[in-house]
Amino acid sequence: MAVYKRSYTSYSGALTPPRTRFLVLPRYSYERLFKSRFLVGFLVACLFFPLGCIGYIYLVNNLTIFQSMGIPTPGFLKIDGKFFLVFMNFQGALAYVLTALIGPNLIAPDLANNALPTYFSRPFSRTEYVIGKISVLFILLSIITWVPGMLLFGVQASQAGWDWSVANWYILRGILLGHITWILLLSLISVAMSAWVKWKVVAGALILGIFGIGAGLAQIINSILRTDYGSMIDISRIMYTIWSDQFGIETSTGLEAFEAWIGFAAVCIVCLLMLERKIRPKEIVR
Amino acid sequence: MDTVLWRRQLLAIVQLEWKKTLFSKRGIWVYVLAFLPALLFGINAYRVKSIRAEQERMSVSAPNASAVSNKIVAGMSADVAAEALRDAKIPYSRFTRGRRLEVIRYNDGANAFDLMFREGALVDKRKRNQALLSDDIRAYAGMFQYFYLRLAIFFGCVGIFMNLFRGEMLDQSLHYYLLAPVRREVLMVGKYLSGLVATILIFGTSTALQLYLMLSAHSNKEVSDYLAGEGWGHIAAYLGVTALACVGYGSIFLAAGIIMKNPMVAAASILFWEGINWFLPAMLKKFSVIFYLQSLCPVVAPLNSDIPEPLKLLVTTAAPISAPIAILGLFTVSIAVLAFASIYVRKLEINYGAD
Amino acid sequence: MSDSATIVFEDVSRFYGEVLGVNRVNLTIPPGITSLVGPNGSGKTTLMNMMTGLVRPSRGTISVRGIAPDDPQALFRIMGYCTQFDSFPRGYTGIQFVTAALLMQGLPAAEAEAKAWKAIEKVNLVEAAKRKVAGYSKGMRQRIRLAQSIAHDPQVLVLDEPLNGLDPLVRSETIALFREQADRGAHVIVSSHVLHEVDMISDQVILLANGYVVAEGEIRGVRAEISDRPHQIVIRCDQPSRMASKLFEHDHVVEVRIHPDRQGLLVKTTDASHFHKLLNKLALDGIYIDTIAPADDDVNSLYEYLIGDEGGN
Ligand SMILES: Nc1ncnc2c1ncn2[C@@H]1O[C@H](COP(=O)(O)OP(=O)(O)O)[C@@H](O)[C@H]1O
Ligand SMILES: [Mg+2]
Repeated sequence: MAVYKRSYTSYSGALTPPRTRFLVLPRYSYERLFKSRFLVGFLVACLFFPLGCIGYIYLVNNLTIFQSMGIPTPGFLKIDGKFFLVFMNFQGALAYVLTALIGPNLIAPDLANNALPTYFSRPFSRTEYVIGKISVLFILLSIITWVPGMLLFGVQASQAGWDWSVANWYILRGILLGHITWILLLSLISVAMSAWVKWKVVAGALILGIFGIGAGLAQIINSILRTDYGSMIDISRIMYTIWSDQFGIETSTGLEAFEAWIGFAAVCIVCLLMLERKIRPKEIVR
Repeated sequence: MDTVLWRRQLLAIVQLEWKKTLFSKRGIWVYVLAFLPALLFGINAYRVKSIRAEQERMSVSAPNASAVSNKIVAGMSADVAAEALRDAKIPYSRFTRGRRLEVIRYNDGANAFDLMFREGALVDKRKRNQALLSDDIRAYAGMFQYFYLRLAIFFGCVGIFMNLFRGEMLDQSLHYYLLAPVRREVLMVGKYLSGLVATILIFGTSTALQLYLMLSAHSNKEVSDYLAGEGWGHIAAYLGVTALACVGYGSIFLAAGIIMKNPMVAAASILFWEGINWFLPAMLKKFSVIFYLQSLCPVVAPLNSDIPEPLKLLVTTAAPISAPIAILGLFTVSIAVLAFASIYVRKLEINYGAD
Repeated sequence: MSDSATIVFEDVSRFYGEVLGVNRVNLTIPPGITSLVGPNGSGKTTLMNMMTGLVRPSRGTISVRGIAPDDPQALFRIMGYCTQFDSFPRGYTGIQFVTAALLMQGLPAAEAEAKAWKAIEKVNLVEAAKRKVAGYSKGMRQRIRLAQSIAHDPQVLVLDEPLNGLDPLVRSETIALFREQADRGAHVIVSSHVLHEVDMISDQVILLANGYVVAEGEIRGVRAEISDRPHQIVIRCDQPSRMASKLFEHDHVVEVRIHPDRQGLLVKTTDASHFHKLLNKLALDGIYIDTIAPADDDVNSLYEYLIGDEGGN
């Protein structure tokens, strides 16, 4: 009898449903990531500021001292778009740091150890692989960005009442849109960078450096060509413009909101193209 | 001393290495970084030429353009300004930026202007798109000092010189060199020279091309006046500084690649150190590359408008040192760094797995 | 033998931090084929790397035909080292790879290339020599590295597991190549983790275990040293007393003890390979044998592992 006939039986257990199969990657990534005490500590620390904000909202809404003195609550204590923008900026910066910590570990080790053929010899497509890897970061970043943001808005809405919510619903839209675009961009950039270079340290440096180099290039394009459109490759300017636009604040970035969106889309497309080139089951040497 | 043998071995190492560095597919980004400014000056040349053409047309079709332009002052309403331009047969475009800003853009034959109207009234009249050689020279100085030296050559040298040792360790191919009858110091110098050949070729070519493209946009008279004056000096200085930057940064990153396990940390720290160099006391300034390079740059770069006033004062009061001292200082720093690295390269062990 | 014709290790130790690489090695290696044999992690590569200056000893001194390993300029005129790293500089073809090493020797380009072709011919890679090394199979990569290490006709040839990944035909060709080098008076030092792979070709063998040299000398001496010691073997079977009586008929069996549960016995023998043959016969005679296991201490079971059954053939 042939050996395989005696010993080989195909897998007959339960399969992960195809639609949610990409979540297998985050599941295993988190298992490994959460072993690092530093990372868990950092994640928890990221939630301190939102907690403080909730406390502040509660306090401001329940300040009876001014009413008791018969004067209206002073303007600088108001909870408004500015307040939420500060929150967004702070958490957005933390998201950036977290990306730099986790991002390089996403694809670079798989490439360095030739693990891609192993992935793709399973019922697992390239798209699922990329979505899976992106969702590792996306989910984690969500927890420290727009999720607490929504919570903050909810607390403020419940404290300040229906009228406030109706008048300020743009804040909710701003938080959601602003933060989701930001973390989408961060996840895409770090996945693309870590797919492009095999060495983790270099990938990490690139994830950080792409912002600095982009800004530098934007500067020289603007100064040599005497234009403002160079800023379209300055990622932090793009995001700043988009956020400010959502909150109705005028900026001096030299960019229009729609130009910023074009820049955003361009960065995303470049990242996707890079992934398309690099995520292949095998490499051919000529 | 086996100087003859060493010379032959150095030559062999350079021959083996320089092409590898110059034509590696992974190194394409260095070319992109190096030649982007050249591309920009190429585009600028086209831009300047078309502005020149436009200005010439204007001087025929709208002879009193600049007089009309001078009469447009703050507070004027957009409609009035537009009417004045139309009467003088000056072509203009009118559009909005953002929610509240209206812009009228026109060219009066000598300069281009952007008129900014907020709520219908002129709040800002910006002169832009000037096509003068002097402007380009200043733009070039800014680009060269803030982008080319500090980012392009800096990271280009990080990529190329760190690769020479650390990259080969990561590729697990360094031992082939260590198994050759070559003194480790000779190997190090050989690799350094081949890195220099590659970087000076890449960045020197780009510098020359940038300068050529910058000048090519302007009229023969302007260019020959410039060259007759300080032009050739500038060109020589820029080319020299480019080469010296490769010498300086090259030695530092070669050493970092030998000494440090994680060279990116080294790159980041050095970037930081060079970045704050402006604000350092004179003693510490000397331990950097950018200080000497900056002293050798022929044109003072316009400062970034983002820099706060008090800092600008600090920066501009820093007295540059004379050229021979700067060159000597740079070579001293490089040789010291290489000598230090040679201690490590002699002790270097092959330990691929543990990295 | 004079110092300039041998490789000498004097009390050499090497630690990787806490980890022991090799410890207190004293060796004098004469020319000819010498095999370093030991299981994975026993310190073969560490010894070779120290001999070639790729790592330095934590203690002790090494002299290779009178040259210290930290003088590469002198050492690699007479030495070629084929490492176990299966990696190459980027973008080289086979011939470029071999020529590069010769250029570093200081040879003029034309002479280097001619010598490179000669070496490549020796390892039978002429057809593939103009292709990129990155596209080679494992065996081809092994051979091109071998070609590189012999190209300058070294007096000392150090080869780390050179037979790995070669098919039987190429393997015997490669072994012939070693012989040829040794016959012209060179040191050929070969490592392997299977003794019977190299014992037929070696003039002498060095057995390594856990960083220590456990035996050295000519192959016959080493084998005798091993087989002189009694081996202890535990056998589980269904008729232990019948087995015991049959075993005692043979001289090399010095002791048999029946296990208290009467399901097995402990045998001491001075000739393990004969003993195993004997067991085969007994099994054919109808005794059901469940398991056979060596019951020796570590070093003895190591010999068992290294020498195996084939030691006696
Ligand atoms: N670079 C290193 N760092 C730490 N330990 C090492 C290193 N190289 C070898 N070792 C250790 O030294 C011992 C001997 O290794 P090695 O010489 O490679 O054995 P072999 O070549 O016989 O398989 C092993 O225990 C190994 O784990
Ligand atoms: Mg080994």
